[in-house]
Amino acid sequence: MVDVDLSQPPFTLLDDAGRERVRGGVDLAYFDTQEVILDAGQPGEFVFMIHKGEVAELDPTMPAAAARIGHYTAGDLFGAISILNGKSRYRFQAEQESLCYLLPKALFQRLCDDYPAFAEFFRQSLTHKARLLTERRAEGGVTMAGFMLARIGECMREPLVVDQATSIFDAVSTLNASHADSLLVCDGECDGERFGMVTKTDLLNAVVIEGLDQQRPAIEVAHFELVTASAEQYLFEALVRMTRHEVARVVVVEEGKPVGVVELTDVLSFFSSRSYVVSLQVEQADSLDELARASARTPELVRALMAQGVKLRFAMGLLAALNGRIMAKAWGFVIDAAHRDASCLIVMGSEGRGEQILKTDQDNALILADGHAWPECEAQMREVTDTLIRLGYPPCPGNIMVSNPDWVGSVSEWRERIARWAARRDGDSLMKLAIMLDAHAVAGQTALLEQVRDELFERCRRDEILLSYFARTALRFSTPLTLFGSLKKPQHGIDIKKGGIFPIVHGVRTLALERGIRATSTLDRLDALAEDGRLEANFAEDLGEALALFTELRLRQQLERDGDGEDANRVVVQQLSSLERDLLREALHMVKDFKQRLSQRFHLEYS
Amino acid sequence: MLRALRRASDRRRHAEGEYGWLFHPYTGNEMVAIDCETTGLDTRSAELVSIAAVKVRDGRVLTSESLDLRLQRPASLNGDSIRIHGLRGIDLAGGDCVEEALDKLLDFIGNRPLMGWCLDFDITILNRHLRPRFGFDLPNALIEVSQRYVRDLRRAHPEIEPNLRFEAVAKALDVPVIGRHTALGDAVTAALMYLRLEKGAMRGD
Repeated sequence: MVDVDLSQPPFTLLDDAGRERVRGGVDLAYFDTQEVILDAGQPGEFVFMIHKGEVAELDPTMPAAAARIGHYTAGDLFGAISILNGKSRYRFQAEQESLCYLLPKALFQRLCDDYPAFAEFFRQSLTHKARLLTERRAEGGVTMAGFMLARIGECMREPLVVDQATSIFDAVSTLNASHADSLLVCDGECDGERFGMVTKTDLLNAVVIEGLDQQRPAIEVAHFELVTASAEQYLFEALVRMTRHEVARVVVVEEGKPVGVVELTDVLSFFSSRSYVVSLQVEQADSLDELARASARTPELVRALMAQGVKLRFAMGLLAALNGRIMAKAWGFVIDAAHRDASCLIVMGSEGRGEQILKTDQDNALILADGHAWPECEAQMREVTDTLIRLGYPPCPGNIMVSNPDWVGSVSEWRERIARWAARRDGDSLMKLAIMLDAHAVAGQTALLEQVRDELFERCRRDEILLSYFARTALRFSTPLTLFGSLKKPQHGIDIKKGGIFPIVHGVRTLALERGIRATSTLDRLDALAEDGRLEANFAEDLGEALALFTELRLRQQLERDGDGEDANRVVVQQLSSLERDLLREALHMVKDFKQRLSQRFHLEYS
Repeated sequence: MLRALRRASDRRRHAEGEYGWLFHPYTGNEMVAIDCETTGLDTRSAELVSIAAVKVRDGRVLTSESLDLRLQRPASLNGDSIRIHGLRGIDLAGGDCVEEALDKLLDFIGNRPLMGWCLDFDITILNRHLRPRFGFDLPNALIEVSQRYVRDLRRAHPEIEPNLRFEAVAKALDVPVIGRHTALGDAVTAALMYLRLEKGAMRGD
C-alpha cells in the first residue's frame, strides 16, 4: 500500500510478489533530530529505509571528530548488516528528523531465504555492486555494452598454420584459397615450436620491393615478435594492443600454442565505432595539422566510449595508447632520425600511469644516451613542447616539460638527480621521485628509461626512512567519510581527487616502489602487488574498483562541464543515485582502510 | 454532552452483549488512525466507499497492521466524488457490504482510541451506519489531529493564523503526503502528523 520506492536495487532483485510482501510488511516511524535509531551492540530488529531525512552512522568508541563513519539519506538502506551479524556494530543517529520505513527482521530473513540474489546483495563486496551498477547502466538503452563484455574467444578465427618449408608462392595461394590476410609459419626447431606471422603486406613487399624469388621459403619474411593475447581476455584489450603496437592482428595463444587470430577487421565488425577511426587517423596523419585534427577528436571518442558503458580501465588503456601514439608521431615529425635512437621521450604523472582520459597538462622529460652529442637539443625540445601544445596538451604549470633543461639529461645525469632527490627527501624531491616513478616511454629508445628506473629502485626501495617519508604524503588529505553532513552547503560537494584518488594512487605507488614493481598504471600495480602477496587479491581488486569509481565520477563531471577542470573533482553527493552513493561510501571506506594499512606499514602513526 | 449520554446508555445496553468489550476502558499503548472515503460531504446522506484504519504503537505507524476495506457500490456514487477518491464503480466490485465492513472495522479497532483528520465527519457517517445495524455508536476515545495541531501552534505561535488545509499542515509538519484521497493514505498521513505533534514538532521552533 505505502508508496515506498522499490525501483532501486536491492528491491529490483525481488519479483512483484516479493515487492508486494515488502509493501505489505513495512511500518513507518519518525525519528527526531539526534534520536538514536539503533545503538551499537543492539540487536538489529529492522531494516530501515529512509523515506525522508538524514541518518549518520557513528562509531561510539571513537572521539567525536573521528566517530562519523557513514551517512544515509532518502532512498538509502541501513540496518541489514546488523540483522545479518546479529547486532549492530555502530550507532545510527538521526541527523535530521527522519521518516523511515521499517522492514521487520523476520520478513527480511524470509525474503533473503526466498530470493538468493536479494540476500547476496547485502553480502557483496564493492566489486559486485559496481558490476551491478554497470549492468544497470547497460540496460539504459546502451546497445554496445555487449561488445565490452565480448571475449576474444568469441571473435577469433582459426589460425592458418603452414610449415617452415612453405614457399612464398604457396603461402599466397593458401591465403587466397582461405580468404585470409595472414598466416602463421611454424618453425619446428629447438624443442619448442616457434610461430611467425606472415601478412599479405609482408609477402607483397618481399616480392615486389625486395625482389625475393617466389620459391623462397615464406619463413624468411615472417615476424616472430608476435603480439599475443589469451582467449579469455576482453575483445577490447585486443583492440588496445593493436593500437599500442601498431599492428592489425593479435595472435591468441594458449599454453604457448596459437589457437586463433583476431584481425582488426573482425574487431571492427563487432565495434564499428569511432575509436578505430581516430586511431587510424593518427596513424595516417603525415603532417602536424592532420595529427592535430585527429588529436582533437579524442574527447569525442571518450564520450562515445563512456556512453557505451565501456569499463573505465579499458577506456583508459585505449586512450593512453592513443595519446602515446600521437606524441610518438609528433616526436617523429620534429626530431631528426639520427637522435631518435639515442634519446627517450618519457611522459610522467597521470599520463605515465595511463590514467589520463582527457588531455591535461603535459608532464614529460627527455633521457639521452650517455655521450650522445646533440648541440641543438634545447631548441628542438622547445619545438616539441610547442608542438604538443598545438596538439591540445596544455603546458605544465610546474614546468615539468622537455623545454625545461632540468627535465632533460643523459642517463648519468638522471642518476645523479635521483641520488640527490633521494638524499634530500624534502617535499619537492619526493614529488619529483613520485613523478619519475610513473614515467612511461612514448618514443625513442625505451631501454634508457629502464636504466634510469633501475637506479631509482636501487636507491629507494630499501631505504626505510625514505619510504616512510614517501608514504606520508598519501595521508596528507583527509578522506571524507561522511558524505555531506558536515558541509555548510550541499553544493560544496566532496573532493574525490584529494580524498580518494590521490591516496590510492600514491599509496599504491609507494608499495610498488617498495616491492620494485615496474608497472606504471595503478591498476597494473595493484595486480602485481596482489600477485606478489603484498596485498590480498580481494583488497587489491576492491581498491581498483574504488579508484575506477572515483575516476569515473570525475570524468563524468569533466565531460559535463566540457573540460573546465577546476571544479570537476568536487562530487555533489545529492546528484548521485542512491546506489552510486552507496558505492561512493564504500569506496571511501576502502580508502580509509588502505590509509590505515599504510600508516602501520610505514610507521606513520606518530609523524 | 449528548454523545456522553448516548455512550452511557449504549454501554448499559450492550454490557453483556457480543460487543460489550468495546466499552471497556482501553489500557494498552496502541491507537488507531482511521479515514473513510465517501460519496459526498453531507454527513446525512453520504455513503461509505472505503474505510481504512492503521495502528500506531511506540511512535510507529504500523502500516503492516492495517485495514483497507472497499465497500459495495453505493447508489449515490457519482462522478463528483469519483473525481476525488478515484474509486469507480468497477473498482468496488467484490467489495464488502456495509455490515461486514463495519464488523471487520470494529474487530480491528476494538476499544483503542481513534485519531484522524476531521475525525468528526468520518465518525458521524460511521455512526449513522452503525446505529441501525448494531445499535450503538463508536464508544472509542477520539483524537482530532487538526485540533491538536491548532492547539500546539497556538501555544508556540499565538500570532499565526493556522492554515488548516490538509496539505498545508502536512507541509508545516514536514510530513510527506502519502496517497492523498485514498482512505489508507490519508489515515497514514494523519497518523504521521500525530506522531510529529507528539514529538513536539511545534514546540521546538
